[in-house]
Amino acid sequence: MSLRRWLATALLGLAAPAVPAALLDFSDDERARILSHGPWPPAPARDPGNAQSGRPAAVALGRALFFEPRLSAGGTLACASCHVPQRGFTDGRPRALGRSQPGGAADTPLDRHTPTLLNAGQQRWWGWDGAFDSLWSQALQPLLHPQEMGADPARITRLLRSDAQLDCRWRRTHGALPPEGRTDPQAVLVPLAKALGAYVATLQSRRTAFDQFRDALARGDRVAAARYPLAAQRGLRIFIGRGNCSTCHAGPLFSNDEFGDIGALFFSRPGVVDPGRHGGITALLANRHNLLGPWADAPAAGTEDPALKTRHVLAQHRNFGEFKVPGLRHVAQTAPYFHDGQKATLADVVDHYDTLSPDRLHADGEQILKPLQLRGTERADLLAFLHSLDGGATAASLQPPAPCR
Amino acid sequence: MRRGVTALAGLLAGAAVQAACGDSLSAAHRLLAEADGVQLAFAPRPAPLPLGRQFALDIVVCPAAGQPQPATLAVDADMPAHRHGMNYRTTVTALGDGRFRAEGLMFHMAGRWRLLFDLPAANGQPARRLSREIDLR
Repeated sequence: MSLRRWLATALLGLAAPAVPAALLDFSDDERARILSHGPWPPAPARDPGNAQSGRPAAVALGRALFFEPRLSAGGTLACASCHVPQRGFTDGRPRALGRSQPGGAADTPLDRHTPTLLNAGQQRWWGWDGAFDSLWSQALQPLLHPQEMGADPARITRLLRSDAQLDCRWRRTHGALPPEGRTDPQAVLVPLAKALGAYVATLQSRRTAFDQFRDALARGDRVAAARYPLAAQRGLRIFIGRGNCSTCHAGPLFSNDEFGDIGALFFSRPGVVDPGRHGGITALLANRHNLLGPWADAPAAGTEDPALKTRHVLAQHRNFGEFKVPGLRHVAQTAPYFHDGQKATLADVVDHYDTLSPDRLHADGEQILKPLQLRGTERADLLAFLHSLDGGATAASLQPPAPCR
Repeated sequence: MRRGVTALAGLLAGAAVQAACGDSLSAAHRLLAEADGVQLAFAPRPAPLPLGRQFALDIVVCPAAGQPQPATLAVDADMPAHRHGMNYRTTVTALGDGRFRAEGLMFHMAGRWRLLFDLPAANGQPARRLSREIDLR
């Protein structure tokens, strides 16, 4: 090295602030990728096609209904029975438990894992196969399915009329209940589902250690950024780099909210294949409660039409065996994993990507997913990063509303 | 030297032609595609082109001199390296005078995308495909 060059280097070293030892030297490209996973929290979510979303009265009614087992046949199952708040709004089981007998006990594993509801309002499609284009239309599925809550609209109407608190909240939200004996079940079911959608849209995970790190990087605060554990930084580097994880687990939610084939097993039962997204699009377009149907509320003037996605979605052969890319915020709280809970722990998920077989992925072109072939501490690093996406319980979402008067 | 000046003049003339196509579109976000003398200018809405969000394209087709404006246009996009397209089908509305609006597009992952514009055969002219690659982060 020439004296001139040595001097220039030495002077630059004096001028630039020292990088703390506990902060990896992320490149500009890595930094841009990291920043794309924030900021958090995002703007409040709105349930599409649901004019009640964001209205406090509807949220309070939806919260009361969410924890109300009397909506179900037999009066024993509420939404919260499977979407357990203390378990990250999942149930901790590989597959949701359903009823073998109408109104009976939940005693039979269904085909899919109960997805978390935290951050559900930020999504585009709902259900592992994306069969629903709004939270409120999705809420009708477990509410009415005989193996799940198996609700009866006439009985729900009687409940709403007989329970003073529910009756009060309903009036505050939707006005008077339909007259006694009215036969159109949609007159109760759709407003009820929209109240549930309004509540679920408020369920949001907390800020995390990753968010503190991301924001520190954004404002150039290296000292604060260096408080993020080195193992998590190394795991993050794999996540946004050679792991290609952020190609699908993108954005602040760590999901592109689309669907992918990750080489997971897709037999629901012996001899029965879960068609995944392909079946989801078919069901979506046949559903009279979708955003193109008569019960969807028009968007507010000047806002984007949420039905664009439904109008333009395209069913393709490759959708067979594709399932929703789940968001990764608070992922450590929502075990087991994958659409049918086939992976018990986060470590099992990392092992899946570490050793996956490209032959199972049916990719025609460049492989987005390749075996990670993790070495040394890399497996633990990736897990440290995933755990850093957990901000703890979300007590604010659970506060019961004041009594309705 | 004269050859160099001629080349420069040609470049400048080309730039002038490019600037002329789609002047009504937002200059900051206007992109061009060209094939066989046909030019096509487009600009996304919202702009810049978003990742993971539905967007529309305002499009202006500028045919070669003496050729009529196309009545129809098809728009699609794919990721050549991954050999897959979008998860959404585009609808195109003709607005007249070579202007079109394409709706329903969405790029669902970062990487290199290719926008494809298909003009049908008409008036003795063959069908043409214009394309433009875009790197999305």
